[in-house]
Amino acid sequence: MNARFVAGKVLGALGTLVFVLVFNFFLFRVVESNPVATLYRGRNLTDRQRDELTRQFGLDGSKLEQFWRYVEQTVQLNFGRSYATNQPVIDEIWAAAPQTIALVGTATVLSMVIGLLMGITAGWRRGTNQDRVLTSTSIVTWSTPEFWLGMILLTFFAVRLGLFPTGGISDPSAGDEGFGKLLDQIHHMVLPCVTLTVAYLGEYALIMRSSIIDVSREDYLTLARAKGLRDSQVRDRHAVRNALLPSTALIAISFGFVLSGAITVETVFSWPGLGLLTFESLRGPDLPMLQGLFLLFSAAVIVFNLVADLLYPYLDPRVRHQ
Amino acid sequence: MTPVKLLAAAALVVLVALGATTGAAAQADDDNVVLTIGLTQDLDTPNVTAGELVSSYELYNLQYASPTDLAAADFATEPGLAESWEASDDGRTYTYTLREGLQWSDDTPLTAEDIAYTINRARDEDWLNYSSTVANLEAEAPDERTLVVASKVNDPRLPGLPLYIVPKHVWEEVPADGVGTYAALDGVGSGPFTLSEWKKGQFWRMEANPNFWRGQVAIDEVVFRVFRNADAMVAALRRGEIDAAHNVPASSFPDLETEEGIVAVAGEQGGFDYLVLNAYDNAPERDTDVFDAPHPALTDLAFRQAIAHAIDKETLVERVLNGIATPGTTMSPSPNPSWIPELTEEETYEFDLEKANQILDDAGYTDSNGNGIREYEGEDIVLRYAIRSESEYSKPYAEFITGWLEQIGIDTTLSTYDDGQLIEVAGKGDFDLYVWGWTPFVDPDPMLSYFKCDQVSVDASDFSNYYNDTGLCDSEYDELYGQQNQELDLDARQEIVHEMLTRFYTAASYIVLATSPDLQAHRTDRFTGWVKQPADTGPVLFSNSSPSYWNLTPTGESSEGDGLSTGGIVAIAIAGALGLALVAWFFMRRRTAEERE
Repeated sequence: MNARFVAGKVLGALGTLVFVLVFNFFLFRVVESNPVATLYRGRNLTDRQRDELTRQFGLDGSKLEQFWRYVEQTVQLNFGRSYATNQPVIDEIWAAAPQTIALVGTATVLSMVIGLLMGITAGWRRGTNQDRVLTSTSIVTWSTPEFWLGMILLTFFAVRLGLFPTGGISDPSAGDEGFGKLLDQIHHMVLPCVTLTVAYLGEYALIMRSSIIDVSREDYLTLARAKGLRDSQVRDRHAVRNALLPSTALIAISFGFVLSGAITVETVFSWPGLGLLTFESLRGPDLPMLQGLFLLFSAAVIVFNLVADLLYPYLDPRVRHQ
Repeated sequence: MTPVKLLAAAALVVLVALGATTGAAAQADDDNVVLTIGLTQDLDTPNVTAGELVSSYELYNLQYASPTDLAAADFATEPGLAESWEASDDGRTYTYTLREGLQWSDDTPLTAEDIAYTINRARDEDWLNYSSTVANLEAEAPDERTLVVASKVNDPRLPGLPLYIVPKHVWEEVPADGVGTYAALDGVGSGPFTLSEWKKGQFWRMEANPNFWRGQVAIDEVVFRVFRNADAMVAALRRGEIDAAHNVPASSFPDLETEEGIVAVAGEQGGFDYLVLNAYDNAPERDTDVFDAPHPALTDLAFRQAIAHAIDKETLVERVLNGIATPGTTMSPSPNPSWIPELTEEETYEFDLEKANQILDDAGYTDSNGNGIREYEGEDIVLRYAIRSESEYSKPYAEFITGWLEQIGIDTTLSTYDDGQLIEVAGKGDFDLYVWGWTPFVDPDPMLSYFKCDQVSVDASDFSNYYNDTGLCDSEYDELYGQQNQELDLDARQEIVHEMLTRFYTAASYIVLATSPDLQAHRTDRFTGWVKQPADTGPVLFSNSSPSYWNLTPTGESSEGDGLSTGGIVAIAIAGALGLALVAWFFMRRRTAEERE
């Protein structure tokens, strides 16, 4: 890997980001409508108030003027103010991000570990009953809509059994500090986290299974066996390491989607993260908020893709030497 | 047991144990009397000058007391911060005497100066939520307990001053250009509760204000918990996690109505759904190159009346609204039903398809080619019906309404718009029919003003700059509007308003389909004293001045009826530990088995 390779990848990522920045502006303006009129329908605004709101929302001037203002502000990391709350978009996003990272991040890691283990087992014991059970489970969970699974878990564990709260991230009456608060939040996170874990793990399992099957025919495995290594050693030291490569790209991209990954599940469980914020903003529509969120989501995916691109040569010497 | 089943069983045990143990440990026990209310909408902002959501208004109702209150039963003007008042001879100036010893929640004295400050500054700076009330008012505070409010014009709303008074000592720090964006987390108020914590997207908490002028209320704290999943909110209500719920889904409402220990309330606040007919008839003038025109038949009163006779409101209520509403009559300008006139039988457009057909025949709209569609000047009558994508009822309404129209020989084409689009489409006059709704303020004036000639869309630079979506301009109506607007005698004013509404109803361009009630439910085990505003028909929460909160008293029962006993928790914890051990054993056994291979 050389500087040219890195520079090329970084420039490519930057180019995509600029495209997203421009596209983002026009995407939300395809529909001609006046947010002031929509948000304040039935409010008897005076002309002065109408003009003031139009200015406050940054909707005065021509589209081109609005676009330049948008670019200028965005470059300075100022995403404007939310129409709904009048507070800076960046603050709102900042406040919601930790909850999403905690929930989706945990679920992504859990599903990755469980999914990869499932994939390894299924691929290594291809054709056995164990493989059939694991593979069909993966296909079922992968094709289950997350929100539906969430509703089922919610109905059973929270409503019927009453073991978990019906939503939110913390109980307003729970203690404000220390261990009690942490436990309370874990208690709230269990159901949405299980939902996402189950929903995500199928993809990892299936991809890992096929990679394992691919490498299981390789000569070096035969050699490893011929050396007298135990089956588990052959699997862990030789098969899995090589089979992990395709999963690396998937893992990197999955981390990119951590921020935007759970719109429906966050809504089902009233989990106050970025997904819920997106859902809310769509109803306004709260254009500055949506612009900020989409830019962030796209940026996250672009950055993690770049990370995957840059990591690959380290993981796979064949790429390095090309 | 196969390994997979074993794993699944173990996972289930762990899940159950985790739920029980963390849940039990997280539970805080103190003696605070907490009222918890579930709702589906977060605050937009605690800033009383700028917020516009129903949820935010509930906060303002609780945090800010007003010089005068709205009676729970009928919105009549009642003493609030002011204990009495006197009118000048011309009825334009009122002198209010405030109660003794009023204080803000932070113990700062609350004086007439705070009120005068709020009125004058809101007027000068055109505060969003105040301007319609204070535009013509001038306030003075000659001493701490005396407030003089003068109106430049006759104002029938006086002496009523249901204004949220802001604390001067807090707001004078906020510059004029920062009023709209002030975060307003100061929590200084004069109402029964003040904001103490807001976790965006989760809940907000309000603490009892010891300085509330009615005396401290029986509840220590109100928590508003935000649910994005309305079904989960209903489940939380059933379980006793929350004491009341606002915006209950219509699908769960009938079940809650019959459930023991829960009272379901379909509170009427004057909100209604209407079918609007585009009746713009070249007045006031507008640029025909830019603006579209309605189907010409719609400018004919007889044609509109035929449509009015073709709408079966009872069926719409039953089939579209699950029976949870009342069929509409005239437009409703206020949550107070006394503003709505009684229509005589002759005045009412009852559902009668035969009559509708007869009217159209008589008016000369005939079907000469026998295709089932009547013609206007030789062309089939096809009306443009707009559907709102954001309303779950819009499509079912359209199915019934277009079906009836077909039966009287009127064809329709359907287009779907989101609300933002529809506002502009309607502003351009590019529609014939659609269904939407309004919710009025307590005073009928704003709602009545929407249908004046000067509210017809004529601004070619801004198609959203209008309120009169039917486009009908009736100078007689405008004349009456001006009269009610100046009439200080309540009975005389009501008479004028009744005449206006009857007139508007007769024009048949705004067919009110049904009321749109606020669906709520509350438990009966922990609190008593829920108050409906207005009496009998109104909601108990999220009403115009929210009197329930200072009326509620705890019954003394505990909320956590279905909590686990200590024994249960220990048992489940042991089960959880066993589950974990089982999983560990399973993995270890597998490993050793493999090692042996």
